This record gives sequence, C-alpha cells and structure tokens, in this order.
Amino acid sequence: MKEVTLDCLGEACPVPLVKAQKALEDLAIGDVLIVSIDHSCAMKNVPEWAREAGHNVEIEEVDDGEWEVVIEKAK
Amino acid sequence: MEKKVENYDVVIIGGGPSGLTAAIYCGRARLNTLLIEKSLVGGLATYTNEIENFPGFPEGVSGLGLMKLFEKQAKKFGVKFKLTDVRSVELEDEVKVVETFRTTYHAKTVIIAAGGRPRITRAKDEEKYLFDKGISFCATCDAAANTGKTVMVIGSGDAAIEEGMFLTKFAKEVIVSVIHDTGKMDCNEIARDAALANPKMTFKWNTMTESFAGDGHLDTVNLKNLKTGDIEGVKVDSCFEFIGYEPNTEVFEGKVNMSKRKYIYTDEHMSVGIPGVFACGDVREKELKQVATAVGDGAIAGVAAEKFIAETEMFENQIMQKDKIGLIYIYSAIDAPSRELLPMMQEIESVFNGQVKLNVIDQYKGKSLCDRLGCDIEPMTTFYTKDGKVMDVCGQCDKKSIMTRLNKLVAQPVEVVV
Repeated sequence: MKEVTLDCLGEACPVPLVKAQKALEDLAIGDVLIVSIDHSCAMKNVPEWAREAGHNVEIEEVDDGEWEVVIEKAK
Repeated sequence: MEKKVENYDVVIIGGGPSGLTAAIYCGRARLNTLLIEKSLVGGLATYTNEIENFPGFPEGVSGLGLMKLFEKQAKKFGVKFKLTDVRSVELEDEVKVVETFRTTYHAKTVIIAAGGRPRITRAKDEEKYLFDKGISFCATCDAAANTGKTVMVIGSGDAAIEEGMFLTKFAKEVIVSVIHDTGKMDCNEIARDAALANPKMTFKWNTMTESFAGDGHLDTVNLKNLKTGDIEGVKVDSCFEFIGYEPNTEVFEGKVNMSKRKYIYTDEHMSVGIPGVFACGDVREKELKQVATAVGDGAIAGVAAEKFIAETEMFENQIMQKDKIGLIYIYSAIDAPSRELLPMMQEIESVFNGQVKLNVIDQYKGKSLCDRLGCDIEPMTTFYTKDGKVMDVCGQCDKKSIMTRLNKLVAQPVEVVV
C-alpha cells in the first residue's frame, strides 16, 4: 500500500481541494494520501469532500494551525 | 485491522462552541476528556466572519479567532482532541461506546455537541457545483477568491445579509435572491437597512432557486419568480447559500429522542433521557442558536457529566458497598418525621457491632441517587443490601422490623430489644 504526501502549505481554497482530488485519482484502493494544509478553510472542504466520496479520513494537527489530512482511498 | 480501544471519563462529540465549553468544564474538573471533531475545531462559528454579539469582545471578534481561544483554554485543562468523524455510538449501557474509523472509545459519559451544517437548496444540479465548483457556504473562506467578481447570495436571514455585506468588500456585485416580497427580509432591521443602502448589493425579490448550470464550474443560477413563474438565468461567478442549518444527527438516529426535524430533545440539565448521555448546542431542539447560548448549554452539560460520574462512583463504592450488610435509609430534609428517625438508624447500626453499614440519602437533595435505587421512592423507606445487591425494601421504619430484616442478612444476629 502506497502512501503519498501532497504539500499544500501556503495554499488557499479551493487549491488544496482541487489538488487532493487530482492526486487521489492516481491512487489505488487502500492507498493513503496525506494532504498538508495550513489554511483553515481547507479543513472544511477537504475532509468533507473525501468523506462524501466514501473514503476514510483522519486529521492530525501537526502544529498550531497546520494539519495533515490523512485520506485512505476506499473505493 | 483490530481496532484500538481507549477509555475516557467523557467523550464529547463535536468541537464547536458548546462542545469546547463542555470540554473546558470537564477538563477543569480533572476528568479524562476527549473531544472528537470531524473537521475544523470551532464548528459553524468559524463560518462567521465577525461575531459582534458575544460578550467580552466590544470590538467584535472573528469566528475563527474566538474558537481558537476556546480551543486553547480546553487544551490548557488537559482535554485531548481527535480530529476524525464518529461512525457509530452505543449509548444505553453503563460503558458508552463511540466508534471512529481506527479507534473504539469507551466512556462513562457522552456529550453530543455535533451541531449543524448549512442547509442546501436541493435545486437541480446543485451537487455538481458544491464547494470548489462555485457553491459555497462560507464567506470568510471564499470571499477573497471572489475579488472583483459577481456573486449571488441565497437567503435573507441574518447570516445571508451580514455575510453578503462582507462579500461586497471583495466582489464587484452581490445579487441577493430573496423569497419574500420587495423590501421584506428575515434578518434584523439594522442589517436590512444597511443592505438596502449598499450600492454593490442588488435584490431579486420573490425568487427561489430553480437550478444551477455551468460547464465544470458554476456560471448561471436559474431563479424562479414565485409570483409570475418566470425563470431568469442570472450570470454569476459563484453562489453563497445561507438558508439555515440542519442538525448532524444521522449517527444518533433511533438512539436518542429527536424532533421531526431531527434535533435532539433534552431536559434543562441537557440530559437526553439516557443516564450519562447529554446533548448541548445547536444539535438540540431549542429556541436560539447562537455562540452565547451554545456556551451556556456546554457549561450545563459539562457540569452534568461531572456530577453523573461523581454520583456513579459514590453510589457504587459507598451506597452499594460490598464489605458489610447495607442499610440504606431514605429521608427528606424537609420532612420532619423522617428526619427525626436519623438517630435511631445510627443506633441500629452500632448495635450490630460493625456488621452493618448505614447510608442515608436525603431525597430532597439527592433525587438522582434515589432514582438509581428505583423510581418514586417515598421518604422513610429502607433498603437492605448484601454484596452490593438490594435484598429487601421496606416502608416500615420501626426499630423492630428494621432489626428483624437485618438479622436475616447478618452472620451473627443480635437480640431485638424495643
């Protein structure tokens, strides 16, 4: 199972979401995409989109105002 | 994959203002507290650009900024945060179970503070343009991306008009679709007058969204005039919907009582009717959904959880102790005859030479302790326990019948003298 990290630090909405959607397309089921973000607005739409699409999502707050959205591709 | 199991005193589901306040109270009471939030800590409050009616901030404060302070305060009291969504809950048993994708949490109490989410219009093709493709619910998040553009706002409540005004600082034009007749809005009058006077704001009265259109990204909102039935395609770069909220209660369906619109019913102590389960904030069926009221709810729920845990421990370790034969006497501080029997009870305890442990419960103050023994107990009731189990209940409170009952349970019976 592959793990890919996508660096979206410094990028505002909707860039992280668009990049995450593209990156996940290239992954297989069971692979994990880690999206690094530091814009709080991306914390609303990235996890929401991923869950809506049926994937497993967990978020780690790596630093104050800096997060890693961990998306396990489920389908 | 085997799921990890973690134990907590309190698990709070939802990290908006009410959940964070409950967390502050629980953390400060030194309870082992976990708060689970599915996306951004702060909840719906972070969608608001400026909060002007939360006391203590005369200059106003941003929703995100205020929530950062709440979070900081909860962390100061040792509350743990987990950013993931809750998959299922089991609330009925003594040990409550909250499941997430990777972990199973066991808790003594659960506080449901799951809040709400923006409602969508459910107009045709709406789902094609949600979030990054033109339809937004958060002016704070997406205003800057609309600098110099034409945007539509759907709705005329406080959120719609206030966030619409905020958008005029960036956008070239803000078109507001209002369901009501000309000049009528759901928002407060100050906001309405300011909006009508704002040169960048225009209004489409008596309209509802019929459908959304665009090639990949939204470019047209088709509005239906409710009076004439005409459909007008309005060219916009993006659209903001502010038409109220719906509760995040899917995982609780069938487990707690809810209103028709799926809000959770609670009593004034924020209890949902299941021992150890509380709900607070926007997820409740209630009158006013504001940060200020969410904070009040959260405080009550936090204290209720603390009280529930303390009482459970006291009930199990003290009232239902297993070392000795137990005599539990229910009295009421406001009922003189029952109060006057207290010395006699103490005398009986001492006559049994350490074989009997007396516990007295004031029904007036300790109603919830009485509830644990069984409902509707009158003052002047005695319970007899052995190994933490109730063996006998009796409403006769004379010395002879109490001693006779105790003699059946103790190893060395004593002589009954009256």
